[in-house]
Amino acid sequence: MLTVAPPDAIELRCNSTFQALMWALSRPGDARVMPEAGLAGIAETLVDLECTVFADTPDLREAVSASGALVTGDVSRADHVFLSSLENAADQIVQLRCGSPLYPDDGATLIVAARHAGQRLRLSGPGIEEPTEISLDAPPAFWAMRAMLCAYPEGFDCFFVDAGSVIGIPRSTKVEVL
Amino acid sequence: MAYVATRGGEKAIEQAERLFRQDLGPIDAARVDTIRKTMPYLVDRVMGEASLYDEELAALALAQTGGELSEAVLVLRAWRTTQPRLAIARPVQQDEVLTQRRISAAFKDIPGGQILGPTLDYSHRVLATDVLEGKPFTPPPVDSAQAPAPVRQPSLAEWQRQQGLVAPATEPDTAPEDIPDLTREPLLFPASRAHRLQSLARAETGGVLALGYAAMRGYGNAHPTVNELRLGEANVVVRHPRGTEFSAGRVRVSQAEVTSKEKGGYLELGFAATFGWNEVKVIAAATLDLNSAEAPVGSAVHEEFYLYHTESVEASGFCIHFKLPHYVTFQSVLDAMRDAKAKKTAADAAPAETRQMEPAE
Amino acid sequence: MSLASLTKDWAATSYGFLDASAKRELRRKMLKAIAVPGCQMPYASREVPMARGWGTGGLQVTLTLVNPASTVKVIDQGADDGVNAASIRRFISRVSGAAETWDTLSASIVQSRHRVPEEVMREDQILVLQVPNPEPLRGVEPNMSIARQMHADADYGKLWLTLYEQIVRKGRIMQGAAYPSMVNGRHVMTPSPIPRWDVPKLNMAKHLTFLSAGREKRLFAVPPFTRVEPLVFSDRPYQVEEHAHLTCRRSGLSGYFMNEIPQDNGGSTFEVSDSNLGIKAIQKAEGAPTEIGETWYRDGEYSA
Repeated sequence: MLTVAPPDAIELRCNSTFQALMWALSRPGDARVMPEAGLAGIAETLVDLECTVFADTPDLREAVSASGALVTGDVSRADHVFLSSLENAADQIVQLRCGSPLYPDDGATLIVAARHAGQRLRLSGPGIEEPTEISLDAPPAFWAMRAMLCAYPEGFDCFFVDAGSVIGIPRSTKVEVL
Repeated sequence: MAYVATRGGEKAIEQAERLFRQDLGPIDAARVDTIRKTMPYLVDRVMGEASLYDEELAALALAQTGGELSEAVLVLRAWRTTQPRLAIARPVQQDEVLTQRRISAAFKDIPGGQILGPTLDYSHRVLATDVLEGKPFTPPPVDSAQAPAPVRQPSLAEWQRQQGLVAPATEPDTAPEDIPDLTREPLLFPASRAHRLQSLARAETGGVLALGYAAMRGYGNAHPTVNELRLGEANVVVRHPRGTEFSAGRVRVSQAEVTSKEKGGYLELGFAATFGWNEVKVIAAATLDLNSAEAPVGSAVHEEFYLYHTESVEASGFCIHFKLPHYVTFQSVLDAMRDAKAKKTAADAAPAETRQMEPAE
Repeated sequence: MSLASLTKDWAATSYGFLDASAKRELRRKMLKAIAVPGCQMPYASREVPMARGWGTGGLQVTLTLVNPASTVKVIDQGADDGVNAASIRRFISRVSGAAETWDTLSASIVQSRHRVPEEVMREDQILVLQVPNPEPLRGVEPNMSIARQMHADADYGKLWLTLYEQIVRKGRIMQGAAYPSMVNGRHVMTPSPIPRWDVPKLNMAKHLTFLSAGREKRLFAVPPFTRVEPLVFSDRPYQVEEHAHLTCRRSGLSGYFMNEIPQDNGGSTFEVSDSNLGIKAIQKAEGAPTEIGETWYRDGEYSA
């Protein structure tokens, strides 16, 4: 009574990308490998008709638009925010949705390109056995702003993408700039 | 392995299913077709509760479940899960419905007229036992009216609005394609009106009737008058990628508006609509909608109460899940109970001064 | 845009049964669940070809995770061949092509109703618990809107009060399975109706746990290395079931959670609840090459 098609290339790619995102967020600071470099694969995996998305480059907007998601120029309306850089992004960051006490899940997901090198950070919290140190090219001002905006369990969750590698920092992670 | 041999769950479930299906016998397209043609109201009910309009698939669901309604609805909803959403149809306006039956209990006559249409309302419910004695029943032909009733009928509430009896309609602040969809997002409270009406549209008929009836008997705060009840067919209008709108087909629909008392100088209206022709469901559902506004939290007419408890697939599934083994949880309860008993026995046997150390009841 | 771009070839079902959009919604909610451990995230919860209350929430999570390289273990009451476990495992395998296993050590995904396996789960494994009622406050507050506000306020006073009343009335906390537990010091969750024996296995675990209630449309998660603390009073330590001294009549194992089997003579015998652990112990005793993993309990004491 049941005929099931084998997975197509998109299904396999999305499944694999999600595994990378899921483990990255489960173990903050651990870099995970995605099947494809860049942010577009994450858009394909997470967003569609039901989503409202902000993206800061035309290419990304096109990728997002193809998914059926509503592309907005207003970060405060977006559930997913794709940024090509954290440089000069303060205006956008400050508008990120943090959810409400009743619905913390309304907090945005920020997906941003950033090198996994440079600034040293110490991470602690769920998913981290012992406080761990990583390098991530995000300015200290970003972390200060995050600390100011996120009043747990409200907050936003971040994926930092360096080519095909992704690091997740959920709102539950305590970040110290070293 | 002795351990394995005592169980054999996989074989047991396979054979149990075979027993069920053996009793129903082979299913072919002819059987499905017979169900579709001879049981339209049953097919309608299943399509309504499944939120999937396809007479053939609904008839197939009934065929393969032997008419076990909750199973038929579940199998159809589960199939729906695998299908993509291709387009969002334009909302149907009341006066666009190709109306076959439209009545109002609020007025003797209404603009557009009372159209009885097909109904058993005034028939004597006598079982046609002659059929079993070899005399087939052939329905007598219908005498056509002198002039056919208009295909489209105006909305009674619209007339009432013009008379200042019903509050003016507010312009929707949501674009049609942005109307929240209950099958794509969870029901949260307070529910949007769209979610409430969608949830009632797919609710279990018997459940809606039970709670709607409770409201009618006095467990609600508003007694319904049927303002308008309508059965008809609606065009499913979608937009072609080139921009033109076209009808992708027609669906049978029912809708009811009930009214009660005045509030703020206007008559309040309760509304319900569903796929298929199912009058009892839409009248009961509209009564629940009407009663929602002032419902005390926790009462049977409060939306959280009636929407949760009339969800057919959830209610029937949870009810039958109690057949599953629960021996681990039961063991956990037994352990706490035995320990508490042992503690009590020990405490009762202990000298009085020790007992005073325990917290007082 | 053309009509063709809006349509697709007809297929009876999608890979993994759920259509792509259902999977994306689950992915989004699963990420949020990880980000706020123990917090119930609402999701649409599609109908699947099993009745609600029969593991449909767990199934939707598993179907989102699974791929042809996955290996899936499904247990009900600790047993791989319980009728519903067998049914779910067969379905997952049919719609995904994933391999089936009874062995906790070789599974990439373990979907379970009412138990956590006795062998320690690794950092690459995912535990999916089926949840009948996701709301630990349901017993003290049946209205879910009010209960949600209580979670928002971290207002767990009513829950503490009922636990205290049980101690006063019965001399101990009477909660059987589904023992309410504080996650990451912020959200009280139900660990699903697992016995008290199993709750410590979720605390600072290596594996990732999803808990999903299909009928109630809520999912939540316990990421690895996250605190899960049963609600107890400092002078009344947490009590797991007194099974440490029981011995399995088939495998000879002792020190694990047991099923009680009533006997005609009025007494009881016991069988180890983690059925595949029992099978492996028998195989080992018979000299077959079998690997039994490290277990959370050693000699009946929790020691991980």
